[in-house]
Amino acid sequence: MMIETILAVTFAGALLTFLAPNRIAGKLAFAISLIPAGLSLWLFTAFDGSGNALLEGGELAFENRTTWIELGAYEISWYVGVDGISLPLVVLTTILTTLAIMSSWTPIDIRESQFYGLVLFIEANLIGVFVALDFFMWFIFWEAVLIPMYLLIGVWGGPRRKYAAIKFFIYTNVASLVMFAAFIALVFSLDVSSFGLPEVTQAMLNGGPDAFAGVAGSTVASLVFIAMFLGFAVKVPVVPFHTWLPDAHVEAPTPASVLLAGVLLKMGTYALLRFNFTMFPDQVETYAIPIAVIAVISVIYGAMLALAQTDLKRIVAYSSVSSMGYVILGLIAYTHFGVGGATFQMVSHGLISGLMFMAVGVIYNATHTRMVTDMSGMADKMPIAVGILIAGAFGYMGLPLMSGFAAEYFIFFGAFGSEVLSYAPVFTALAMFGIVIVAGYLLFAMQRTLFGPYRLETDYEVGRAPLHDIAPMFVLLGLIIALGVAPELIFDMILDAVDPILEFGGEA
Amino acid sequence: METAFELAPAIVLLPLAAFVVALLFGNYMPKKGALAGIVATAGSLLLSLYVMAAVATGGQHQETYFTWAAGDAVSETGVPTIEFTFGTLLDPLSALMLVIVSLIAFLVHVFSLGYMNDEGETGLPRYYAELGLFTFSMLAFVIADNLLMAFMFFELVGLCSYLLIGFWFRTESAPSAAKKAFLVTRFGDYFFLLGVVAIGATFGTLAFQGDGSFVAAAGEAIDNGETLFGFGAETWVTITGLLVLGGVIGKSAQFPLHTWLPDAMEGPTTVSALIHAATMVAAGVYLVARMFGYYALSPTALGIIAFVGGFTALFAATMGVVKDDIKQVLAYSTISQYGYMMLGLGVGGYVAGVFHLMNHAFFKALLFLGAGAVIVLMHHEQDMWKMGGLKDKAPIVYYTFLAGALALAGIVPFSGFWSKDEILFDAIIVGLNEPIFLAAYAMGLLAVFFTGFYTFRMVFLTFHGEPRSDAARDPHPVSWNIKFPLLTLGVLALVAGIANLAPVYKLTGLEITYLEFWLDGQYGGYADLTYSAYGDTVPFGTDYIGSETITLLIAAGLGLGLAVGGAVFAMVLYNVPEPEPHTENLGSARTVLRSNYYQDEYQVWLAENLTLPLARAADRFDQTVIDGVVNGVSSVSLFGSGRMKRLQTGVVTNYAALLIVGFIVLLVVLGVLGGWFV
Repeated sequence: MMIETILAVTFAGALLTFLAPNRIAGKLAFAISLIPAGLSLWLFTAFDGSGNALLEGGELAFENRTTWIELGAYEISWYVGVDGISLPLVVLTTILTTLAIMSSWTPIDIRESQFYGLVLFIEANLIGVFVALDFFMWFIFWEAVLIPMYLLIGVWGGPRRKYAAIKFFIYTNVASLVMFAAFIALVFSLDVSSFGLPEVTQAMLNGGPDAFAGVAGSTVASLVFIAMFLGFAVKVPVVPFHTWLPDAHVEAPTPASVLLAGVLLKMGTYALLRFNFTMFPDQVETYAIPIAVIAVISVIYGAMLALAQTDLKRIVAYSSVSSMGYVILGLIAYTHFGVGGATFQMVSHGLISGLMFMAVGVIYNATHTRMVTDMSGMADKMPIAVGILIAGAFGYMGLPLMSGFAAEYFIFFGAFGSEVLSYAPVFTALAMFGIVIVAGYLLFAMQRTLFGPYRLETDYEVGRAPLHDIAPMFVLLGLIIALGVAPELIFDMILDAVDPILEFGGEA
Repeated sequence: METAFELAPAIVLLPLAAFVVALLFGNYMPKKGALAGIVATAGSLLLSLYVMAAVATGGQHQETYFTWAAGDAVSETGVPTIEFTFGTLLDPLSALMLVIVSLIAFLVHVFSLGYMNDEGETGLPRYYAELGLFTFSMLAFVIADNLLMAFMFFELVGLCSYLLIGFWFRTESAPSAAKKAFLVTRFGDYFFLLGVVAIGATFGTLAFQGDGSFVAAAGEAIDNGETLFGFGAETWVTITGLLVLGGVIGKSAQFPLHTWLPDAMEGPTTVSALIHAATMVAAGVYLVARMFGYYALSPTALGIIAFVGGFTALFAATMGVVKDDIKQVLAYSTISQYGYMMLGLGVGGYVAGVFHLMNHAFFKALLFLGAGAVIVLMHHEQDMWKMGGLKDKAPIVYYTFLAGALALAGIVPFSGFWSKDEILFDAIIVGLNEPIFLAAYAMGLLAVFFTGFYTFRMVFLTFHGEPRSDAARDPHPVSWNIKFPLLTLGVLALVAGIANLAPVYKLTGLEITYLEFWLDGQYGGYADLTYSAYGDTVPFGTDYIGSETITLLIAAGLGLGLAVGGAVFAMVLYNVPEPEPHTENLGSARTVLRSNYYQDEYQVWLAENLTLPLARAADRFDQTVIDGVVNGVSSVSLFGSGRMKRLQTGVVTNYAALLIVGFIVLLVVLGVLGGWFV
């Protein structure tokens, strides 16, 4: 019942914060968010599961299943549990939310109770996405994340917030619709009586879909695979479905960006792993090359776009496209290190991009500009914030002993030896060139903004950032270094959950 | 003996502790963190010497401390799992390098007291913290027992040099130079990382030493004639070896990735000493020595190493001839000298290459610290044309600098002579057997002349003649903490050659070849990491002109003659009371040399005139085409719904008409499908 407790506390906390007066809402939300953070850390230490949540041969941790609705021949249930893939993401969500709340204290100064209430509401739904093991339940959480994020961007965002919010909402919602329709078609063509994801997975692996609506079973599987891939690709996002992301990031307030890049993007890759890469091993093999091409293009093209930007937030936003390309590469490699590294990258990128958005936010709070051309020599005025920004930037570049390097190394190593993907070494070498471009754009941006003689084009007196802006960044930096020095902290449990996936498909 | 090996991790961790202490408490400490660094590096030095003694008495040690990550991974040779670990490998090579690095780091810390602290510098805690981190990274790199760990600390070394080159971040030039250093070496490291990944995916191991090492696995694969990733085993070893070499070329500033190093002079001179002598730049060549067994398997890879080295040695030496800034001259000499080490290693001269690495560490640290002392004397003037006559005003600086210069130029009996001679000897005897290597040898030999010339041009312009500025007439005094490191290194520059007097042995039979014995594991060490083990693998034969002795005398005579020739030429031109630049006599060559063969220009062009416009074009494409389609879809649906809504006229008779039309259409359709009209 621990998972239910976390969800209940977070939902109740969201409601409570909504009703609280504005002046205490920030502190209250922070205090409340400590509960799911603490409980999820407890889950992490008490984790005794093994194997993959969707596949046989393992033990699901904190499992609970109750029939919820009987829908004709189909059963919908309340079904939660975590394995080595979902648990690290749950912990990432709760920790990042707590830190994002603290980092909102400075920039958010209107409608605080609604703002913090929505942040907690997002958190609850995000946790739900990662723990749900019944499709209907999962889909409700999945869709429910969109609404509060739409509001966070649309109400507290920048000048073009309405355009960005609507674009974000419609784009990802249409994608969800495609994915939903495809999955329902899949369930109807399978011999199952439940929307439980493990049942669907096992039905897929033991025979696959029958003919449905006059279409052969294998074609159904391929069509569903493609439709679901497209649906999730928007969320990730991969090129060419990425254009909502920079707009959403630039307009979103800092804490929303932190959650958006930190966790919301991982919903896409998490779902890809859970659905496409767990249920469809044959299709993974069939479509390996096109998917690898998409991955490489996302990495290189995303990095090139970042290179062209002069807005610090846009730089970080586009670099997320690049980093998510690595995740796709790791997944399509379909090896232990590839898929495990992709999952590790989800956590690592969540921490590092969160740190980068916070650091850019702190500079924005002080200068009210994010344009590279508007400032230089910030290191002189804000030594600690800038020091953390530099550390975060090197984390992004994949500096060893920080989590980004571990993630990228696992992915590259896993991809190079892939047996599913033809020309794997070539794809790996191409995608790896991203590590040079990322160094290029971050170093250029840092040189221009942080170093050189002090200059600021806006009329603001730059002072040192308050402690509550700095503290969350230190926590993130600590986690990034901890995972970089000892990736085994989570990598073991990830590999344990990845292994059964490959037993059915990949290297076996 | 075991105690020494058990304490080995402390060699690495002490400077890390100094980093933390200086960063957190430096501001509250006397000397702003310098003392923490001095104590830590002194501790590392003592422990390194202890380890060296343990190796000298027959020890060797390999220990895994910590598993970074492990999992299933089917490698090309069939190993089903792989482990990535942190561990130490203590053998003659790493023990020697530990002593070199910790010694130079210690002396640089001491020197910094006089160079940085006395100058009213702000940001000293940051300086000492970064210096500590730098030392830590390099020591951890040296001690690494596997390729991935080596890569990780190799990268951290790059980070530290970025931070230290950009130490004076309030200027425009230092951050730019720092960025360039990181970016250019990162480009090399891209290939290195690809090599690490490829070697791991091929052999399922990254260990340097033992039966389970990738070197042994590669040898086995070649012997068994295996196919790896679609290539013959030897070709694949060549490919992966050259990928790793990309990182070496970046860090050791070899052509064409040498361009960052002259710019790196923007950092404090103490940092330059550390970068050039013992850390950053040395890391590349050390890596080649560390995995020499792997390169020895591939004649192609060795040949490329030799040619890159020989070419770089000559190429950089020519550029050093026309520089006016004392640190610039030294920068190009560094590039050139590392070229020699590569040449030596490339022709299979493992001992010669490592010998020169050691000697160079001493004399280049000496020369940079000497240059730092000159800069203090000169009230922060670096242009040699404003110096002159410092010989009598600062004799200790002069004589130690002279010792370094004689070693750099390769004048007998200073240390540089012995190692450079050994490299050139190894190159010529391989060249006599495989004539293509004679070209590499010739480039190295020709560079000797230029080296002698630019070195003594620097010495004469700086110390001889009449003072050419007020600063030179009234130099700032230097303190003991500047003189002490200079004296220590000056003595080493003079005597370090005794470690390996190979020509003396060959002529007289006196066995003064301690370094060769040392690297051959005759005191202690692993059998597969010895000079003779490598010698068995290296695929080159040797030949002599007449006999070994005659070849030896010819090679040594040529080398020494050219070095002295260069020095004398410089003396004639510049050892006069009022020296003239003389560079205009070079004609258009002068412009080319002063522009560094336009190497910077084309690399900047690649970055700013090719990559950046390409990125901007991609951005425009993204904004207009890709996002245009997205917005287009929404415009189309808006337009469509705008048209659709006109149906809702609000007139009831219209709705009734539509209803009836719809009903009729439905009836007709159903009728056709249902066969009513048949």
